[in-house]
Amino acid sequence: MEEKSAKGLSREEIGYLRRKKAAKAVFPIFRFIILFGLGFVILYPLIYMISCAFRERGDMNDPTVMWIPRHFTLDVMKETLDAMGFPQTLFTTLFLNVGSSLMQVISCAVTGYGFARFKFKGQKLLFGIVIMMILVPPQVIALPLYSQFRNFGIGGFTVNLIDTALTMYLPAITANGIRAGLMILIFRQFFKGLPKEIEDAAYIDGCGAFRTFVQVMVPNASAAFLTVFLFSVVWYWNDYYVSATFFTDTRTISLMLRNLDTELKQKLFGTISAEISPREQIVWKEAGCLISITPLLILYVCLQKHFIEGIERSGIVG
Amino acid sequence: MMSKKNNRNKPPRLSYEKRKALYGYGFISIWLVGTISFFLVPLLTSFIWSFCDVTIDTGNTNLKWVGLNNFEHSLMVDPKYTDCLKQTLLETLWKTPLIVIFSLFIAVILNQKFKGRTFARAVFFLPVIIATGPVYAVISGDIKSTGNTEAAQFSTMFSTNMVGELLQFLGIYGLSDNMEAMISAVSDNIFSIVWASGVQILLFLAALQTIPSSAREAAQLEGATAWEYFWKITFPYVSPFILVNFIFTVIDSFTNPTNPVMKRILALRDDWQFGNISAMAWLYFGIILTAIGIVTFAANKMIYYETE
Repeated sequence: MEEKSAKGLSREEIGYLRRKKAAKAVFPIFRFIILFGLGFVILYPLIYMISCAFRERGDMNDPTVMWIPRHFTLDVMKETLDAMGFPQTLFTTLFLNVGSSLMQVISCAVTGYGFARFKFKGQKLLFGIVIMMILVPPQVIALPLYSQFRNFGIGGFTVNLIDTALTMYLPAITANGIRAGLMILIFRQFFKGLPKEIEDAAYIDGCGAFRTFVQVMVPNASAAFLTVFLFSVVWYWNDYYVSATFFTDTRTISLMLRNLDTELKQKLFGTISAEISPREQIVWKEAGCLISITPLLILYVCLQKHFIEGIERSGIVG
Repeated sequence: MMSKKNNRNKPPRLSYEKRKALYGYGFISIWLVGTISFFLVPLLTSFIWSFCDVTIDTGNTNLKWVGLNNFEHSLMVDPKYTDCLKQTLLETLWKTPLIVIFSLFIAVILNQKFKGRTFARAVFFLPVIIATGPVYAVISGDIKSTGNTEAAQFSTMFSTNMVGELLQFLGIYGLSDNMEAMISAVSDNIFSIVWASGVQILLFLAALQTIPSSAREAAQLEGATAWEYFWKITFPYVSPFILVNFIFTVIDSFTNPTNPVMKRILALRDDWQFGNISAMAWLYFGIILTAIGIVTFAANKMIYYETE
């Protein structure tokens, strides 16, 4: 006390400093409890998944087994992989979903750049359409889109595109696939945030617009690309609505996961009507979940650092 | 031959602005083609369908104009639609503010400096990569879609049983069922709220980065408490993103294939009732749009924009 008053602090200031000190000591504990608790809510299903996927189904009925399986086994994983039709399913998913998500990243980047850096007539109206794309639920346009793909073409000449990869690729290439509006918006905001000087320098040196975009802007936008790439892959990977609409028999991982029950019963017990207790079924279900998110998790862990950095730096918030 | 060469030697004299405008059209042309054929045309079609009786036979769509019949049917005749609509609207109404407040709170915490911050952030963004897919349906216990409801309670963390057991363990017996139902409802919703706020946290966190360090220093010099700092500095800066997140949350919950209205629409799709579905989808869409419009209008008067 003596010392502090020697420094010439009033009573009020001392109180303030003391309160600040107390808050500094207590707050981290409080923060830790909150983050730990909520983090647990998020991680719980994942831990549960891992715990379930590697146990025998009998363990589900053993009340002494909570987290650590008594009978460790890889059979469930193998059976689930088999029922989901690996590795064929994986290739289909990679080809259809990941392929079109890559296309969409590129097309959305080009479009976003167009909106961010050029002034042209009708720009506001057209950008309004982009906002509409974000607002309109895909369910509203799914059916007309289906009939459009069913008879794709102009005038008398039509082809049936249902069940072909084109139903995914055509919208993706033209920046109209799953949640494309949001991606265009992110790119636009990001490109708007980049300094204009680098571009002007390129123009003055006689570089064409497209070449400027590829050689000058794209390397500077790697953070935005990473972010959108991750989003895009995730949204396409997780999609089952669009693929269920346009494909009758194609098997992507998400679709397989939704039909896992029937597939499993057929593969394991030979008949759809096999009776297994729902408790025991969890084992396979969680294994299926684990299989379908593992690739995403790996991707996320690899990109995580850049991803978070990218969000901080990119003008998603612009 | 000669004239062609001449043309080449004489490039069209366009001003810099005009040329840039042309480039602009060039950049968005791919999207424009796509959006006309894969967005605007289907949108218009479904709008027309909602006023028609639609039958589809071998590749032909037959339309018969029926006026507002489809809408009337959805609202008056369809046994489930209005119920589903009410349920969805109510849920969105109380969940959206909760999600927005929660994600702002978490974003503020995750923006502070502490040990293990990167890990904590990675965990809180995890729902972003999982929550849109079928995996979420399994882990949130919504296993109805795959055929067995009994398994549901084992799959969620906060099953009613667990809460009941906890109460018994604590020596609280004989609480009314109401109380138990309420507790389990709240704890159930913690799960769905945490899992629905990944993107929102992310956006808020990005917004928090835009607060200039000068504002923070000034507040510190003036001796602002954390509480004051939040309301006087943080809140105004992130207020535009409260609106953005609000809209995002509403859209996210409205377009989620697991919400009751969407389930109803999907079920009717299997019966090929295209006209009815279009009417329902448009009614639903109209309600979202109105809601968002009202909120945006109201919020725009209160939001602080640093620029513009």
